[in-house]
Amino acid sequence: MAYILEKKNLSNFLTALAPEYQVFAPVKRGEYTQFEALTANEELALDDAHNTRVPPKALFLPMSETLMSYRPNGRAEMAALAEEKRVVFGMRPCDAQAVALLDTVFEAEDYNDPYWRQRRDNTLVFGLGCNQPCASCFCNSVESGPFSTLGQEVTLTDLGDAYYLQLNETKAEGLLEGLPKASPQQESEAQAIQKQAAESMPAPFKTAEVKAELDTNFNSAFWSEVSAACLGCGICTFLCPTCFCFDIVDEVQRSERVRNWDTCMFRVYSHETSGHNPRPTKRERTRQRVMHKFSYWLDHADQIGCTGCGRCVRYCPVGIDIRAIVRKAADLPLEVAHAG
Amino acid sequence: MSQALDQVKTEARRLLSEGLVDVFVGYKAADIPMHPQPAFISKADEADALVYDGFCANNLATYLPQLTRSTKIGMVVRGCEARAVNILALENQHSRENLFLVGVPCTGVLDWRKLTARFGENVSAAVDEGDTLQVTVDGKTQQLPRAEALHASCQRCQHPNPTWADLMIGEPLPEGDPERVWAQADEQIGKTKAERYAWFAHEAERCIRCYACREACPMCYCAECFVDHITPRWTESTTSPAGQHAWHITRAFHQTGRCVDCGACERACPMDIKMTYLTDKLNQDMQVKYGFVAGMDIETQAPFATFSLDDKDRFVE
Repeated sequence: MAYILEKKNLSNFLTALAPEYQVFAPVKRGEYTQFEALTANEELALDDAHNTRVPPKALFLPMSETLMSYRPNGRAEMAALAEEKRVVFGMRPCDAQAVALLDTVFEAEDYNDPYWRQRRDNTLVFGLGCNQPCASCFCNSVESGPFSTLGQEVTLTDLGDAYYLQLNETKAEGLLEGLPKASPQQESEAQAIQKQAAESMPAPFKTAEVKAELDTNFNSAFWSEVSAACLGCGICTFLCPTCFCFDIVDEVQRSERVRNWDTCMFRVYSHETSGHNPRPTKRERTRQRVMHKFSYWLDHADQIGCTGCGRCVRYCPVGIDIRAIVRKAADLPLEVAHAG
Repeated sequence: MSQALDQVKTEARRLLSEGLVDVFVGYKAADIPMHPQPAFISKADEADALVYDGFCANNLATYLPQLTRSTKIGMVVRGCEARAVNILALENQHSRENLFLVGVPCTGVLDWRKLTARFGENVSAAVDEGDTLQVTVDGKTQQLPRAEALHASCQRCQHPNPTWADLMIGEPLPEGDPERVWAQADEQIGKTKAERYAWFAHEAERCIRCYACREACPMCYCAECFVDHITPRWTESTTSPAGQHAWHITRAFHQTGRCVDCGACERACPMDIKMTYLTDKLNQDMQVKYGFVAGMDIETQAPFATFSLDDKDRFVE
């Protein structure tokens, strides 16, 4: 089922959701955009082809989240789970796919994370497909595409003056009820745009197929080469929509236990109590980042742990490009030469 | 700056083939435009892959403390990088005897964000040649005066020429305009306390604590940074105002008398956080109160790293 939302009615449409839902959408902040809860008629930054600077995983796994607070008398108070119902409007398909991927982490049978699950259950995602994918995007190489619908209840196609709304999950149907149904002509128009967007992307490169090369070359000098320039900061992982590592700390001055984003790119991440660090240099840490996405995710979830948003490529301060690493890895030997 | 490239390649090739250095640190082209990647080459024939232009945005001295002291290192340096090398030598972080610096007078680092803001995300090429940039977007090439794309730190730069180098490429450039050097610090000091605090809070609170500013900075080489210390924890790692403020203030304070205002911290920041105004103010204090500019030579210790029995302040008694 598909509907039409005229752009001139967008503001009214979102306002009408407000009594029941907290509505998040990208707004411009300085030179970048970010998802914010709308309060009153903010100008939305939906036309910018690029992603928000910080990925919307932060709406489900906040950068810092207080889990409990404790009192001098030893009493602990658990933080309440977020109750409000939410609509996230204008999430790009790569970011939505990432959230869906993270469900396999936070909603796994044995490790069901109540903070994540509650927010996911309470949130409807209106995805916005990309008419003009960016130069650094590579969703078509990682089992996705500029109009992938994974992780979205509704997928929008920008028709110029209106959005074409494709309903993917019936639980969002009620929100679209007042809208006119799309005509067959509008449907074919949307399909043409989707096709054109997919065709405008560079030819895909091998990703899942490279797992064997990566696994075989775990100890290869390749990793020293590709990590040589790495500064060891957390940009690539913090801005990654699928990276989910966290650290739980006690902020004793405030008597709070907080869950903060953490990253395998930090030395202290894998520093053990004994003093040993199994990933002592940037070589092992860069390898972990790449292997996790292009090998270990395939082991655990049978999917690549990268959705091709390109943030790590765009914002790496030393020009490290995960696409180049994976492309190069495809040429690695499939048999390791054993010394003596 | 591209005229320098051929000479950089020639020198890298010579140093490596004659065995004068084990590794040459420069830049190579990455897969995306405007983001050359620091390169560590150890074979003379790899020198052809080197690139050098205004988009080389890092301070290469940041890699020095990571390389073993016995490694003979060749490195291409600009004014700020040579000063950082001096400070690291003073702080005993590398062996100057094992360093061979190829100095290049610097016309300023280009800020790719300024080009993205102006031309959009899909810049496919940007050529830094003379005073004008040739920027290609969607197959069309447009021009932009180089001065408009300079990073803010480079607009304030006083010392574009390396203070020392084993070999200099090109003619020295005139020193920077002294009227500009404290523009940013003075602007902040001209504000009320409340305005300054509001500015600081607005910048610091966007921080995602990726520590790219720290890692990009040649002066941040501590084996264990204060934010990484956990027994006891010295500062909050939480992105609360308290944690953000502590990080940004302490990071800046640790640069007192050490910062060369290269701007690498700000260029690395993924959240466009302004932070050089803090170190600019510290640099200003160092110059006004102590007559000290960091890294201008290899002998003078920073005021806070030394003391003298003749100190007019008698606190040592």
